[in-house]
Amino acid sequence: MIRRRYSPACIIFISLWIAGAPAVAGVVNPNISVIGQPYLMVTDDPANPDHDRLRMDPGETEVVFDDYLNPFTRGYFTLALNEDGLELEEGWFRILRGLPGALNLKGGKWRQGFGKLNAQHPHTYPFFDGFHVLSEFLPGDESFNESGLELSERLPSPGESSLVASLAWLQGDSFRQVRGDTIGSGDPISLSGDRSEESRPAVLGRLSAFSLIGERSGLDFGLSATSGTNNVAAGTRTTVYGADAKAKLWNSERSYLVLQAEVLKLDREDAGWSCATGYAHETVKPWGWYIYGDYNWDLRWNAGASFERYQAADRDQAWNSAFGLFGGVALMEETTAFRVGWERFRTGSAPGDVQPDPVNTFTLRVIFSMGPHKTHQF
Amino acid sequence: MSYRISFRTVVAALALACCLASSTRAMAKIKVVASLTDLGSIAAAVGGDQVEVKTIARPQSDPHHVEVLPSYMVSVSKARLYLKVGLMLDQWADQIIDGSRNNKVEILDCSAHIIPLEVPTTRVDGRQGDVHPNGNPHYWLDPRNGGIVARDIAAALGRIDPAHEVEFRQRAETFAKECEDSRVDGVARIAALPNRTMITYHASWVYFAEAVAMEVPGHVEPVPGIPPTGGHLQELVDLIRQRQIPVLLQEPYYSQDAPEFLARQTGIRVIKASPSCDSAQPDSYLAHFNKLIAEIVGS
Repeated sequence: MIRRRYSPACIIFISLWIAGAPAVAGVVNPNISVIGQPYLMVTDDPANPDHDRLRMDPGETEVVFDDYLNPFTRGYFTLALNEDGLELEEGWFRILRGLPGALNLKGGKWRQGFGKLNAQHPHTYPFFDGFHVLSEFLPGDESFNESGLELSERLPSPGESSLVASLAWLQGDSFRQVRGDTIGSGDPISLSGDRSEESRPAVLGRLSAFSLIGERSGLDFGLSATSGTNNVAAGTRTTVYGADAKAKLWNSERSYLVLQAEVLKLDREDAGWSCATGYAHETVKPWGWYIYGDYNWDLRWNAGASFERYQAADRDQAWNSAFGLFGGVALMEETTAFRVGWERFRTGSAPGDVQPDPVNTFTLRVIFSMGPHKTHQF
Repeated sequence: MSYRISFRTVVAALALACCLASSTRAMAKIKVVASLTDLGSIAAAVGGDQVEVKTIARPQSDPHHVEVLPSYMVSVSKARLYLKVGLMLDQWADQIIDGSRNNKVEILDCSAHIIPLEVPTTRVDGRQGDVHPNGNPHYWLDPRNGGIVARDIAAALGRIDPAHEVEFRQRAETFAKECEDSRVDGVARIAALPNRTMITYHASWVYFAEAVAMEVPGHVEPVPGIPPTGGHLQELVDLIRQRQIPVLLQEPYYSQDAPEFLARQTGIRVIKASPSCDSAQPDSYLAHFNKLIAEIVGS
């Protein structure tokens, strides 16, 4: 994935520009929000350089700008500030009205709406981080985040249920996968590289449905599929299919239960090279799923559990699993939240191999926000 | 057996179909969606049989925080008029309207002609809690503002359906007069009370208090949107005892702990009441106001 980073001088310039803007400019200023997410972590993962010690980390700070561009269009930018610098996490416009047939057109770069969780920013999760099965199967490093254009349409549906179909044409950068060098003579990697910087357009389609249960509770269902080229030279592709469901069930004015699950199936051709036959590929077809339940009471408190199980996207396709417990409280009101979590991750092993010890990770994250984007939606 | 359909039969059938279609269009109601039941009720009173009203926020839920559901977008996708509270109370409505993909819906900010109370005179920031920078947005609780909103809704409906413009205006005037009559009656009943003060949980009742000449010397929330601290509750205990405040008005979506504590400590009577009326029926708005008065005077 291409990441654009900006120097601290650039951040200071933007801050001064915003702070120094004349008051009269307020009428056209966008909504501005800043969300901090520092955390404490202890893990016994031997691969983590801070294992068995308390790690204090400022986490990722998000700066969000959003507003209407004109009566038809809305714009949105999220800048992520972390130890690597400043990154444009999202920057897109959406034409909301004025197109024929109530079509919506979205363009730019954004966290793609594959399933329920990928499109959400981590500060809205009730748990510490996204599920391993999503990062293992979906294209991209931290999330499936791509540049592209998306058309969506609301389809006819009975009563007040909602059915929306969308189709996106994507740049395809996050599908790219660098093939290992085979050492053998004639391998294009050793000769002139393997066109690993090239990408080809990818597609993402989604169908999502919503239905009310009673006055306030609701059921969401969705089907997603994406496909793109992971190695241009070899012509190999990555395709992911997903199905998701979410139920938000209110049992009183001030308490509700969220149940959410996703199932994913990866179909990936991994490019290889043989001196005798040239390009070849090996196909991996693992699948996996996650489920979590989150009970919110008195609006400001929540506790829940999660479980996921998925096959590693490699030749062995061993089953990994993780169990987690989490809880949180929104302090005073929704601008500040504390979230505590524990996860026990068990790496799978091929038959006959020694089973690695499970990894335990404890976290405490504080999420605080300034501006209209809050930590939590009551 | 064979059937022969004559040319005349076809023409007659087509003419009948056209007549039915045009009469259906003539009878089609204006679909109105309102952020609150109160605005919906006023729209129903003004629109009469010419409107079909749906509402978004439930009367028992906090209107500051409404979860945007796709089914709300579907409702607005069929609407000709959307009634917003404005004054930054129902910012969630923008998301619903945007998600509706409705190019034809007219948005009416019902706060446009009311005189807002509690407009901050200094820069607003988080220290003041959830303060609305353009003023307190709970204006519908003053029936005089109900009358103003009714006239605005009549004008909007008249633009959409000019054939019934006069009816809309007449109904709005009638409704405004009923609002004022109810308010005058409420003032008289409250005036008979020995103590015309009350505590409220949130600053939802400022307009209501002004409408019936009541005083609100304190709120359970120290600042809007922030739950009470122990120190603030003790101050309220002292205030209630000192001024012998008889009534505490509490919205149903806030925690009962603090009001129950104050009731135990001081004997204050807690009235749990929604700031919004029960439904979008035409008589619901004024019935809600009259019921509030009745509960406060204890009848």
